[in-house]
Amino acid sequence: MLELRELPGDVLGVRFSAMASPCELLLGRVERDLALELGSVAAEEAQRIERKFSRYRADSVVGWIHQRRGSVVQVDEETASLLNFAQQCFELSDGMFDITSGPLRGVWRFDGSDQVPTPEAVAQLLPLIGFQKLSWKPPWLRVPLGMEIDFGGIGKEYAVDRAYDLLLARCPVPFLVNFGGDLRVSRPLPHGPWKVGIERPDGNLQAAMMLEMEYGALATSGDSHRFLLRNGIRYGHILDPRTGWPVPGAPRSVTVAASSCTEAGLLSTLAILKGASASRFLKEQAVRYWVFDQFAAGS
Amino acid sequence: MKPRFIALCLMGALCLAGTVLCTACSSLGVKPWQRDLLSRRDMQPGGSRLDDAIDEHMYFSKEASSGGRSFGGGGCGCN
Amino acid sequence: MQLESGGVNLRGKLIAASCALLGSAPVAHAQTHDVVDTINRALADWQLDGAVAYYHENGRIQAVEPVINAGHELANGGQLDFNFTFDALSGSSPNGALTSRQVQTFASPSAKSFAQARHLYTTGSGSLPVDPNYSDARVAGGAGWTVPLSRLMRATLGGKFSYEDDFYSATVSAGLERDFNDKNTTVSVGVNSENDFLQPIGGAPAPRSDYTLFEKGGHETKHGLGVLAGVTQVMSRNWITLANVSVDRFSGYLNDPYKIVSIVDASGSPAGYVYENRPDSRTRRSVYWENRVGWAQGSVTADARYMTDNWGIRSETAELRLRWWLPGRDQYLEPSARWYRQNAADFFHPWIADSAPVPADLSADFRLAAFHALTYGFKYGCKLTDHLGRFGRDTTEFNIRLEYYEQSLRGNPAAPAASSGLDLYPKLQAFLLQVGFSY
Repeated sequence: MLELRELPGDVLGVRFSAMASPCELLLGRVERDLALELGSVAAEEAQRIERKFSRYRADSVVGWIHQRRGSVVQVDEETASLLNFAQQCFELSDGMFDITSGPLRGVWRFDGSDQVPTPEAVAQLLPLIGFQKLSWKPPWLRVPLGMEIDFGGIGKEYAVDRAYDLLLARCPVPFLVNFGGDLRVSRPLPHGPWKVGIERPDGNLQAAMMLEMEYGALATSGDSHRFLLRNGIRYGHILDPRTGWPVPGAPRSVTVAASSCTEAGLLSTLAILKGASASRFLKEQAVRYWVFDQFAAGS
Repeated sequence: MKPRFIALCLMGALCLAGTVLCTACSSLGVKPWQRDLLSRRDMQPGGSRLDDAIDEHMYFSKEASSGGRSFGGGGCGCN
Repeated sequence: MQLESGGVNLRGKLIAASCALLGSAPVAHAQTHDVVDTINRALADWQLDGAVAYYHENGRIQAVEPVINAGHELANGGQLDFNFTFDALSGSSPNGALTSRQVQTFASPSAKSFAQARHLYTTGSGSLPVDPNYSDARVAGGAGWTVPLSRLMRATLGGKFSYEDDFYSATVSAGLERDFNDKNTTVSVGVNSENDFLQPIGGAPAPRSDYTLFEKGGHETKHGLGVLAGVTQVMSRNWITLANVSVDRFSGYLNDPYKIVSIVDASGSPAGYVYENRPDSRTRRSVYWENRVGWAQGSVTADARYMTDNWGIRSETAELRLRWWLPGRDQYLEPSARWYRQNAADFFHPWIADSAPVPADLSADFRLAAFHALTYGFKYGCKLTDHLGRFGRDTTEFNIRLEYYEQSLRGNPAAPAASSGLDLYPKLQAFLLQVGFSY
């Protein structure tokens, strides 16, 4: 279901829904028909990736793998490259980025209440978590019984980059692909850079940051809507898979600008996992970033 | 023979009690996420069950002792 | 929190990783539900191990023994285990008589008198008397069931049976185990009860009776009860230790119905034979300790056992096994060694003098003699995960094992005069070759 709208600055926007997020493709001046066609390219790619990798669907690759836990399965090239990427991220992050951390969802329900799980409940799940416990020899994968894999942490950013590649070959004008806040731009508009607003985690629209983008991608990790609050302590929804608990001192939101959305997404996730050292980490990576911690915005 | 039997039983009970008491201090042990090596088959007592069963049958039919790892009765007519 | 890895280099590696990811071709996922999928799914929570072992003693027994074990994880966290084995033995078995310079003639168990020539066998001068027609076939199996009673406690129930033409056995066992200290400590207790029914070929001989009188009766039974208590403790990420204490008591017919003891005259030459007799009950106690230490490339297992019983037998056992994964982690080598020593039973008599009364209990069975034994083993294993296509699993493995066992009898009664200079206690040498497959 594509929705076309006119935006200021001679920009056309095509809106659709995918990956449980509002998505849009912003284009420089083109005819309606081309805009709708390009919009459907982006929408179909987003939906293809969602259908293929969603953990909620029994007919997705992830569902198919989960039905065959304990045995070896042969995955296709795209899934293999996602697994390779997940493995490299697992190693680069010393185990903090881990696509097998799904079981923790069973005890951590981030609904704004004070239902924090007991240490026992969390400790019980830890033997089922750990990318190193998977048997991954491309293209042969074996997920041991009781374990899960979930591409949710990189799915959206990957979809942005895939849609970007497809559009780059077809779109004659500058464009911006935005899937629920993770976005990538092709080149600047004729009259200047793209103007992007970064929402503050506390929803304070007035103090929202305005960002100018000419090239590159943006991704955000954070807890703006998903958290638990108990005894005055806020438990953010980014969990450290090695301990099963949220990272202490984690900022509420981190936005990173990098050359691809996948790269930006991973850097922002890793930054939050670094807790209080988020800013220092991002400074070392020489990227543009915005960290919103408990009390104030910083950059 | 009786006093030695009693001594052996006492020694065994002390070993067991000592181990449990020591461990009650829970300074020994690992966290659940440190069980990677321990879950390997060659690190599990009982991980080599088939080889042990074949060896145990051989030793039971040639020696006067059996068991220890598990119940000692041979359950076969070879001794 | 320290920035352990990557540092400034992390971004470079991340960019490279992202490029690799985005460079690959997106492909539609095709659903397949074929036979291979169905089989893999059905076997997903089963573990199968099978092996065939060939055992050969120099000049004595040889046996072939196929074994299969199957383990099944239950949805509730419990476990079902099944095992089945079949073994076929043949060869020569010592009958308990003393090696002598005289030629000796014996009757096999199925003989009713010395008149039936086809049931007789002869031992040459200076040779160990053995029954050359020993043969046996056995079928045995067992099952075990582990039931979780709560998050920290489990109950186990087990049963096993064994069937040969002269011996049937049935055993039941029950146990309980509980975890402590974050599952780092496990305490377990168990009991088992074994019931054996013997129907010796030719009938059970009257104990201590004269061999030449063929006083043989019908069947016999024996019964055993055992208790075992153990503690398993995780010492560190690399080290787990286990200790067991067990006591068992067997009562009933504990004799070997086919074994005799030589009676020698004043000069030491054989003057006759009597059937052996062992006490009506045997109580054994043992203490067992095992340690496993592991690291990425391998592991070491070391265990020791000390056993005593009321027959005067004491034994010590020590074993060492080293698992070494070759680079690539697809193959391993596993050398092992075992040392064992026992002293003789109180009633072990390789011969008795005709001048003294026959003791109440006596046996010349070498298994009750004083000896020490050494085993050297070597095992090679190879993972087949990548070689079986879609059937390959992490646990699929081929292995082959060779063991050499030797038993040296020492410290046993010397020969009587007429047999002096003869080797009364020949060394036992055997090897075991086993080929196995795990799935």
